Amino acid sequence: MNRSTLTGAITVVVVFMLWWLLTSGTGLINPLRFPSPEGFASALGRIWSDGYAGGTLMEHIWQSLRLVLIGFLTAVVVGMPLGFLMGYDRRIEAFVNPIFLLLRPIPPLAWIPLAIVWFGLNDASKVFVIFVSAFVPSVINTYTGVRNVRKTLIEAARVHGATEARVISEVYLPDSAPMIFTGLRLSLQASWTTLVAAELVGAFLGLGRALQTAYRDVNTSMILVTMVAIAIAGAITTILLGHVEKRVIRWRATT
Amino acid sequence: MSEIVIDNITKIFGEGGAKPFTAIKDVDFHVKDREFISVVGPSGCGKTTLMRMVAGLETVSRGEIRVAGKPVKGPGPDRAVVFQQFALFPWKTVRENIVFGMRSKGASKAERDKAVHHYLTLMKMEGTEDKYPHQLSGGMQQRVAIARSYATDPGVLLMDEPFGALDAQTRTIMQEELVRVSKDNPRTVMFITHSVEEAVYLADRVVVMGRNPGHIREVIDVAQTRQAEKWSEEPIDDVMEKSSFTHLRGQVWRLLREQMGDDM
Amino acid sequence: MKRRIPLLAYSIASLVLFFGGWQAVVSAGLVSSFVLPSPIDVIDRTITMMIRPFAGALLWEHALSSIGRFLGGFGLAAAIGIPLGLMMGRFRLLEDIVTPLFEGYRYVAPLAWVPFAALWFGTGIGGAIMVIFTGAFAPCVINAYRGARLVDRHLIEAAQTHGASELRIGWEVLLPGALPSIVAGLRISAGLGWQSLIGAELIVVSSGIGYVMIQGQSNLSPETVVTSMLVIGLVGLAIDFGLRAAETAVRRKWEGQ
Repeated sequence: MNRSTLTGAITVVVVFMLWWLLTSGTGLINPLRFPSPEGFASALGRIWSDGYAGGTLMEHIWQSLRLVLIGFLTAVVVGMPLGFLMGYDRRIEAFVNPIFLLLRPIPPLAWIPLAIVWFGLNDASKVFVIFVSAFVPSVINTYTGVRNVRKTLIEAARVHGATEARVISEVYLPDSAPMIFTGLRLSLQASWTTLVAAELVGAFLGLGRALQTAYRDVNTSMILVTMVAIAIAGAITTILLGHVEKRVIRWRATT
Repeated sequence: MSEIVIDNITKIFGEGGAKPFTAIKDVDFHVKDREFISVVGPSGCGKTTLMRMVAGLETVSRGEIRVAGKPVKGPGPDRAVVFQQFALFPWKTVRENIVFGMRSKGASKAERDKAVHHYLTLMKMEGTEDKYPHQLSGGMQQRVAIARSYATDPGVLLMDEPFGALDAQTRTIMQEELVRVSKDNPRTVMFITHSVEEAVYLADRVVVMGRNPGHIREVIDVAQTRQAEKWSEEPIDDVMEKSSFTHLRGQVWRLLREQMGDDM
Repeated sequence: MKRRIPLLAYSIASLVLFFGGWQAVVSAGLVSSFVLPSPIDVIDRTITMMIRPFAGALLWEHALSSIGRFLGGFGLAAAIGIPLGLMMGRFRLLEDIVTPLFEGYRYVAPLAWVPFAALWFGTGIGGAIMVIFTGAFAPCVINAYRGARLVDRHLIEAAQTHGASELRIGWEVLLPGALPSIVAGLRISAGLGWQSLIGAELIVVSSGIGYVMIQGQSNLSPETVVTSMLVIGLVGLAIDFGLRAAETAVRRKWEGQ
């Protein structure tokens, strides 16, 4: 264990001790403001086995995860090809960009009310806003990545007689891959943010719904449990994406 | 009196770790007040590390370095460093760069203005006060860096291959300039270089270092020859053709070549 | 020789198709105006909301109250995040201490802070500022930290050997050296902060432009919703424009570094 990890570990331990001290230990912090470790543990036990706000923790997580994945993957499947075409062909860029510039400044969360008007308070409206939020970074980064493909590499492929299909699959895609993955990470992050907001505005199941109910009940322990669950679910998907990235971009020198 | 006492020092990197590396071993050396010494040696001999320890930018593992009688504990304005990379603040004008060190010492506005004028004149750079570093050539930038160090009025000037990043012509001009400037404004100077010519031309004494681990191989006196042969009154090209110069240069070269031989 | 159609023509065609198609779909009755208002409805609604109060205030008053909160939360995030990031870049120990906590915080979606923000600071300006803060804080810290780490080590050493105090090193070396990275971070921050505010106004805060939007939704007035979206987009664009100008200015001054 090196010094940094040790310092980090000590910090975490100290923070936990402080947490306990300020809540259960001395009662300086009112449980209605922030929960104690014991409160956190019992809330976790309750939502895990008995369920809370219409489902157990796993059911909430699964519901949220499902919506995020559907919205995110749809956005990627539509956004990446669009971004690619925009970077590849100037005419498509000129055609799509104005609409994009028009819609891009609207934060994804601002689509929530319109989504509710269109689809109602159901899964479809949430998938739609997640789609909107994940779509923009997928398109932009693919577009930028393809635009910045090194011209010398394209020329090198062409002078060696590569067909256009080969130039695309063997030069454009690999050279823009790092940038595309940056976009995917941003998309995934945006998906979670949007999901939480959408479920807070109105939902029957999901982590945001549990958070909202806990807030209504002024159950700070449950609020914290839900926040931690959101963070962990988000972290897991991000780490998975990182693994995919590593597999796809194997040639890149690790730093 | 700003003499540098390097008192039997050793530098070990990563001490206590898995792979400690001894960069310098048992180096013992005194630089007299207002003496100009240059340090040459093959790469990896620890000459830059030695300078950085005098500057207080690296710690000493064993032994002690004293400047003007006080042990070195960290960097300070009594030992200004001129870096190979110039290290001018890109967001500050020439004037602001020059007064940087003076402000650490709380110099008044009038003193600062006077110093800027004085050192820019000395460096033949009048009229560049309000330019930014990127608007100047490499040679000009290094003049500003030298002016900044002089303006701090340190007892000791430490120079780490200051002309290493310059082209050959500029380098020659800068060498002449440095001789001129340091003649009028003598300081205790420790000049690190990998150029034998430069070392011999500039210094009162040349310290030749060896490696594995870094140590002092020999110290060659130049000052006597320089005075006797009146080097500083002639252009650099003429000096470098004098037999007195080529003799000393050959002596340093041989020491360095023996070093290379160690490895072969 | 093929006649080249200028690229601008594609752009114009695109906009004409977009707005024309939108208007046509609604005018032709293909979708109900309760679902999608036409562009003309939106313009009409915007003008009405400028002169007649909706949800307690005129449109621009709602916008201003949102902007005020935004500036508060964003300013706070920058004021705390930038020095913290710079110090983390300078002092290894601080970096080691803060990193695990920061990593944990970073994965919590900003909007998940809404309940605590509301419980701690109320659903007025305090809670809103905290939600913006949680959204905007991370990029400020990360970019200041990265910027500080990228500052040429020799510049810091030059400052040290010329007798500069840590405070001066921070103010005259690290901050300007990290500035290009910091300004880029501020742009990301501002975007996230502005969006978090809208989220907070949708959920708990009962004023501001996000609140107008949710009111429009529950009053079955989609033209109000779209009008608010437009205002939100324009304000976001103005904020980004300002920061982008700052970014360009910094880049220009630092050119040739």
